[in-house]
Amino acid sequence: MLLLITLYILALAMLTSIIKLIIGPTIWDRLLALNILSMKTILFLSIYAVYTEQLYLIDIAFSYGIIGFLTITLFSKFIGMGGRQK
Amino acid sequence: MITSILLIISWIYILIGIFGIFKFKNLFYRILSSAIIDTVASLTILISLMFYIKDISFILKIILLILFILITNPISNHVIVRSSFLSGITIKKGDNDGNTR
Repeated sequence: MLLLITLYILALAMLTSIIKLIIGPTIWDRLLALNILSMKTILFLSIYAVYTEQLYLIDIAFSYGIIGFLTITLFSKFIGMGGRQK
Repeated sequence: MITSILLIISWIYILIGIFGIFKFKNLFYRILSSAIIDTVASLTILISLMFYIKDISFILKIILLILFILITNPISNHVIVRSSFLSGITIKKGDNDGNTR
């Protein structure tokens, strides 16, 4: 029962971070919202693997973590070098 | 028992972290509140899952996931802050009712 309420709270946090990703004033706010979204995806997949007793789903959480980390570092490097202007 | 207490603590951390993104006016405060609270919420949830399932391979995978989060989450937040600082965002004097110093 507590795992189900945690799933609902994580889904609400993902929805509000998507709102922040749309209305963010600067582009670094959008990167921040993307970081929160990837971290909440890892937690959502881990709790869902325990809730439905399909324990192999924890491996997919690893791949989502690696994809999120590479996305954040490469986008930050690309924006810090000047984006499409240089 | 430990699982219930840690999950209830993690709800508070997640909700405060989402509230802190929309409250502050400056960029660095938002990244600070998000970075700290996100790490603590993920640690409490993953440790509570370690006490819920009595399977040794699952516990080893959870420990690997905790180590992965503890290494990569500060690096990605630091990269965002470094990119924004090198691009010219500074702390103004009047943000957040003069509590900048």
